[in-house]
Amino acid sequence: MGANVVHLALFKETEIDHAAEAIARLRELGVSDHDISVISGIPYSERILGRPMTWTTIGRIGLAGAVVGFLVAIFLSFGTPLLYPIRVAAMPFQPIPTSIVVIFELTMLGLLISTFIGVFVETISPSFGPRGYHPKISDGHIGILFSSPAQVEESIHATLQALGAEIVHNVEEERLWP
Amino acid sequence: MAVEAKPLETAVPLPHAEEDPREHLMFDPRPREVMNRMVMEAMTTTSRRYWAWVIGLALVVLVCLLGAWGNMILTGMGLAGIRRPVFWGLFIVTFVFWIGISHAGTFVSAILRVFKAEFRRPFTRAAELMTTFALAAGALYPLIHLGRVWVFYWLIPYPNARWLWPNFRSPLVWDFLAITTYLLSSTIYLYLPLVPDLAMARDRTTGWRHALYRLLALGWRGTEAEWHRLRRAITIFAFAIIPVMFSVHTIVSWDFAVGVVAGWHSTIFGPYFIIGAILSGVAAVVSILFVLRSTMLHMDYFIRKEHFDALGKLLLVFSMAWAYFFFNDYLLTWYGGEEAARRILTLHATGPAAWVWYLMLICNVVIPWLTLWNRTIRRTPWAMFIITLLINVGMYAERYTIIPLTLGHQRMPFDWGVYTPRPTEISIVIGTFALFLLLYLLASRLIPLVPVWEVQEGQMAHTLRKVGKAEVPSVTELE
Repeated sequence: MGANVVHLALFKETEIDHAAEAIARLRELGVSDHDISVISGIPYSERILGRPMTWTTIGRIGLAGAVVGFLVAIFLSFGTPLLYPIRVAAMPFQPIPTSIVVIFELTMLGLLISTFIGVFVETISPSFGPRGYHPKISDGHIGILFSSPAQVEESIHATLQALGAEIVHNVEEERLWP
Repeated sequence: MAVEAKPLETAVPLPHAEEDPREHLMFDPRPREVMNRMVMEAMTTTSRRYWAWVIGLALVVLVCLLGAWGNMILTGMGLAGIRRPVFWGLFIVTFVFWIGISHAGTFVSAILRVFKAEFRRPFTRAAELMTTFALAAGALYPLIHLGRVWVFYWLIPYPNARWLWPNFRSPLVWDFLAITTYLLSSTIYLYLPLVPDLAMARDRTTGWRHALYRLLALGWRGTEAEWHRLRRAITIFAFAIIPVMFSVHTIVSWDFAVGVVAGWHSTIFGPYFIIGAILSGVAAVVSILFVLRSTMLHMDYFIRKEHFDALGKLLLVFSMAWAYFFFNDYLLTWYGGEEAARRILTLHATGPAAWVWYLMLICNVVIPWLTLWNRTIRRTPWAMFIITLLINVGMYAERYTIIPLTLGHQRMPFDWGVYTPRPTEISIVIGTFALFLLLYLLASRLIPLVPVWEVQEGQMAHTLRKVGKAEVPSVTELE
């Protein structure tokens, strides 16, 4: 069996039904969901294109950041007075109401920063699916990126072109941007 | 007795004054490539007038802000008018003003996003940008007010040489934490939805712009996974940043309210400050939108009368809410019977600076209530520009009334005093206004001000549906 070839089929966004149909046809022709990636200029839900649900760890990373922020706030509010105790008459040493403010701010800071870091980490982390891009995508096209064995290339092209696709070959070798 | 039924008069159909739904941006779609081109042209087109403004504002920042501040650092805080009994003057007034303005971005972007208010789509970024720059301008004031700015890092929560940590029970430390949290989160919240538009700009530029956008776009292609994680992150931010926004101005209000100062020691100060901040912030958004629409290419396509109309309604509601909180604070102080606090109220309304108090009421209540109920006025951009500028004049007057006019007349009459801003303070205030405008002007030519993908997403979800003889707007849930 020959090596897989990466293709990019472009559909106009007005022909989204055709794009969804093309994904279904690719599946029928033996291309697995793992080897297909949809690229678009606006977000489409998985339901619209009939794709499996994608997952992300951003929520968990955000939650972990919130916990870290919370613990730092606990240390600052209740731990630091112990490091150098200064007791003032009639003043509580480790008051809870004022600590709530610090705990809230630092927990939210941890949540928000770690959410951003999560996006950043997931964006720059290596992707094992097919890669490719065409500037037309941000101009109102939907790109279906897929890799398939070279021997079924012709049948796939014929099917996709019948649905109105514009096929871009060997996208890996192209310069992604001008 | 027989009841005689009187036949109804034949109903005469009223002439329809309904507007064409196609006047709305969501029902007037254009191809994506056309919208991209419009936004890129708006971003890359500069005129002589633009550069004249940039140079003029840069000079004002240099002279009025950096020059006056530098002179104050070298000469001493005596150049400012803050002295016994008024130690919080124009610097703190303007600090509160800018923090208030910064609420606009979050309100417009996060709250309206959470509630799926569709009219928000074309101007969320313009509002978020305002938040970031208003915070940048506002965050300067604690440093300016410090006097010894070279030891500003003492504000940062870390221990000194004796391992003595800052006092986390102090509202001033809360301020530092809240403003830092809000500045960081609102900057990230501005950046995240910008990434797809930066990628769009990357695909259409060359040279230094291409290099810049390529770096900032983080290799964005628009894959399903990228969209999925971006939306997840935006959703987390939209929900999480709202309480942060509320906390920031609440904590600013606690700077005042936790002190046993007559006129400040009020439990309603938190929500009162919040509502004032949202009023001034949304008013500032309208002012900025008018300027963008009038000065930037193609902005009249994206920013329409419908947006001024919708924001005008919000302003009217917030003006009423502000009046409600103001009256609550006023009445309970008046009724409470504490002599010092009552005397302050009297002084506000009849003292030598009473014009500031009346200016506040006229600009925040009378003008919005007399004008914003009217649809024609709400849909007249220049009228909205003037009204919103006046609202912000009113909100500045409110902060001036609360801070120096209240501090000058506390419980000890022998310690009363009148605060007069000095030229150095006025110059620094003018300088930060120029800084805000300068940053906005520069950013307007560096980043796409309209979130094109969000506009297109909205346009795809909106259609006109035929029901009987009418075409009615219909919104589809695409998510």
